[in-house]
Amino acid sequence: MPKELFVDPQVMRKADRLRVPEIPVHAYATPLAEERQRYGDKTLIRVLRDMMMVREFETMLASFKAQGAYAGIEFVYKGPAHLSIGQEGAAVGSALALKPDDHIFGSHRSHGEFIAKGLSAIAGLEPAALAAIMEGHQGGAMLRSVEKILGGDNETEVAETFLLLGLLAEIFMRASGFNGGMGGSMHAFFLPFGAYPNNAIVGGSAGIATGAAMRKRLGGDGGITVAYSGDGSTGCGPVWEAMNFSSMAQLKGLWPEEHRGGLPVLFCFNNNFYAMGGQTIGETAGWDRLSRIGAGINPDAMHAETVDGTNPLAVADAVARKRALLVEGAGPALLDVECYRATGHSTSDANAYRSRDEIKAWTAHDPIALYAASLKEAGILDDTVEAALAEGVAARVRMVTAAAVDPAIAAPVDIRANPTLIGELMFSNTAIALPPEPVGTFNDPASTSRVRQLAKKARHGIDENGGLHSPMRAVTIRDALFETLLHHFTHDESLIGYGEECREWGGAFGVYRGLSDILPYDRLFNAPISEAAIVATAIGYAMEGGRAVVELMYTDFIGRAGDEIFNQMAKWQSMSAGMLKLPVVLRCSIGSKYGAQHSQDWSGLVAHIPGLKVVYPSTPYDAKGLLASALAGNDPVIFFESQRLYDATEMFHEGGVPEDYYQVPIGVPDVKREGTDVTILTLGPSLYAAVGAAETLAAEHGVSAEIIDARSLVPFDYETVLKSVRKTGRILLVSEASERGSFLMTLAADIGRYAHGDLTAPPQVLGSPNWIVPGAEMESTYFPQAQDIIDIVCCELIPEKNTDYRGLRGWDGLDLSRRGI
Amino acid sequence: MDVPIVMPQLGVDIEEAQIDEWLKAEGDAVEEGEQVVIVTTPKVTLELEAPASGVLKSIAIPADEIAKVGTTLGIIETE
Repeated sequence: MPKELFVDPQVMRKADRLRVPEIPVHAYATPLAEERQRYGDKTLIRVLRDMMMVREFETMLASFKAQGAYAGIEFVYKGPAHLSIGQEGAAVGSALALKPDDHIFGSHRSHGEFIAKGLSAIAGLEPAALAAIMEGHQGGAMLRSVEKILGGDNETEVAETFLLLGLLAEIFMRASGFNGGMGGSMHAFFLPFGAYPNNAIVGGSAGIATGAAMRKRLGGDGGITVAYSGDGSTGCGPVWEAMNFSSMAQLKGLWPEEHRGGLPVLFCFNNNFYAMGGQTIGETAGWDRLSRIGAGINPDAMHAETVDGTNPLAVADAVARKRALLVEGAGPALLDVECYRATGHSTSDANAYRSRDEIKAWTAHDPIALYAASLKEAGILDDTVEAALAEGVAARVRMVTAAAVDPAIAAPVDIRANPTLIGELMFSNTAIALPPEPVGTFNDPASTSRVRQLAKKARHGIDENGGLHSPMRAVTIRDALFETLLHHFTHDESLIGYGEECREWGGAFGVYRGLSDILPYDRLFNAPISEAAIVATAIGYAMEGGRAVVELMYTDFIGRAGDEIFNQMAKWQSMSAGMLKLPVVLRCSIGSKYGAQHSQDWSGLVAHIPGLKVVYPSTPYDAKGLLASALAGNDPVIFFESQRLYDATEMFHEGGVPEDYYQVPIGVPDVKREGTDVTILTLGPSLYAAVGAAETLAAEHGVSAEIIDARSLVPFDYETVLKSVRKTGRILLVSEASERGSFLMTLAADIGRYAHGDLTAPPQVLGSPNWIVPGAEMESTYFPQAQDIIDIVCCELIPEKNTDYRGLRGWDGLDLSRRGI
Repeated sequence: MDVPIVMPQLGVDIEEAQIDEWLKAEGDAVEEGEQVVIVTTPKVTLELEAPASGVLKSIAIPADEIAKVGTTLGIIETE
């Protein structure tokens, strides 16, 4: 909301009529003679060969699924097979127009997209570059295998066989697959050929490809990104969010001139007319022609066109024209590539939803047969050459298949030899080192009032008289986070940040305040209210080599980015067998005052999903240091912040919050107060309730409480806690998340398991009750208070104190559970 | 007549705020409703408007200082 953008009532209230550009449908009419001039006969024949390759590959998988055998090779393939038979013209046609450094992000029906892009890249790369790529994959092991089975050294043949074997070994989840067997059929990718991750979630690639395009623009890498998905994905909200994000007006207006322009992303819908069991045209969508949706996004209608995916040259023509627009900065673009799926959604599809007549009608529009016929008619191809091509393709796929099922060449992943192998792939646990001096282009931070104000603030929250400083006079958590953000933004040029109110507003809770005076638009910007796109684009940005810190205003909005957090951010490092790094920090504030949809602590929800580091600091010292670790690290981190604690000043760390940059390691709890009788392990703002309780316990009950702040959820080093329990023999865990299924329950169960010999009583858990968070007036009856802590310590953990519940929680937990509350 | 520019109550739990910048110097003419001083609470930055037209006679709390709610930040002398 920059003030220079004036919402002029004179303009906004004026009568007008919107004009939507015409959207071409099957406008391609280039004579083949012209295409011969454009591509040459050799390439035109390669297009046919590539389509045949895709079909034979898919036919092989179909054969394994249906008969357990292909070309005399017996094999039980247990995984999925979402085949693209009938859609080869779309895949090969679009790949023909792409350069090796264009990056595709595939759909779940991606074998064809992958093979076509790989073959196109092989044709476009220099032999030396190809050799280096193959040598660089798994130390050249796959290349050696290919050379052995081929018995020849024709560079192109070697590279093509390498491509097919790497893919098939991956589909069969073999250790030598392109992704170490961790991706499989729907997630196979190979970055050096420009084939970026495919996505098993319908439409999942849209936001990721958009973020990757943003990195291409900012990182100056060149090329475009392509988000492949099916027609069914037009029903997915995140796809719309991504299209809107890629065409934000600020990209062409407010961003610095050198990076200005719509994002270079092509939304390529391979429209096979079916979305699982639903039929988009006539049943589950209303667009009639998919390309129409471009008109809803921007005045260019995303340069949308409907293209005949039956004809690879029509597709290549359209993709080439869109590519040129994208490179110029006129993006995004949309193509509706109609390509009928000849076989089922998957091999378990009985085709109950379509008639035999329809399937038969489309066999007369088979892309391979039609294209071959057109080449023959033009005298480019004859029956002999066609037969030789088909024979060569079949021989190649058979050779690759034989190799892929041979454990000597493609060994299965040996989990028994290393039971934690998959676990080891979750995090790289690596980090970047920041340079000592600032780098990049930004305004002098010292010129901003925020930085001047910070320089005058006390670093400790307790004043010289033992009282508390006001948040105007001492460094708060809000300030501590700002200091780390500022340091990273000014020492790491690859870092960008965005959220729904990050610039002039300064973040809904003032963390960013002042940063928009320092950083240009392409480093810090206001994102649309599109939580899914915010997270997905950050993932794509990171996949493409950048680093991102993005924000969801409230933790309660995680639901809006559920797939992006749970299936994308959490999964890609391990699904790539560690080949991808995802340095993304997602800041989520945990709210207060606003009731049920704005005050929930969902830290346990994300901690439950393998693949995310999860942090929840409660003091300025920890917030500053943990954010530094998160931003420097190369693993995805969910960083929780409590809105009630933004004004908290440092009360625990001796010397207060250091002015200089430092890191606090993620995963290590911290003792905030030493004691001997009972351990209170807190997460989030409950730390402060525990401090209040500890003072009363000492003064009125003679109980010495040791308080440990968990600080992190994942990873979590139990040593500090176990050491404390060995001393106290009793432990109470406190947080503000509702108890059922909460992270405290995991901690309590683990502590019971690992420390049972040291415990004189079972671990006790005090969370919020299992009902909605009430509004501000009732919050103190909901979130655990000091009195609730005292009650549990004195009634349950040290029963010899013989006191009664004075707070509200003397209820019958078993009865509540029986009733689901 | 002297009209004080007073640090307003910017939120129920806000006790004080910092003067970020005076947009007018002492002796400058100001119009009622014109922005004269930028203040910052822990959370937000706000521009305070002149309560009257006249001349900014004096600045009581200079930039970068902290002022409690209700404090006189400066005086406008009206004609």
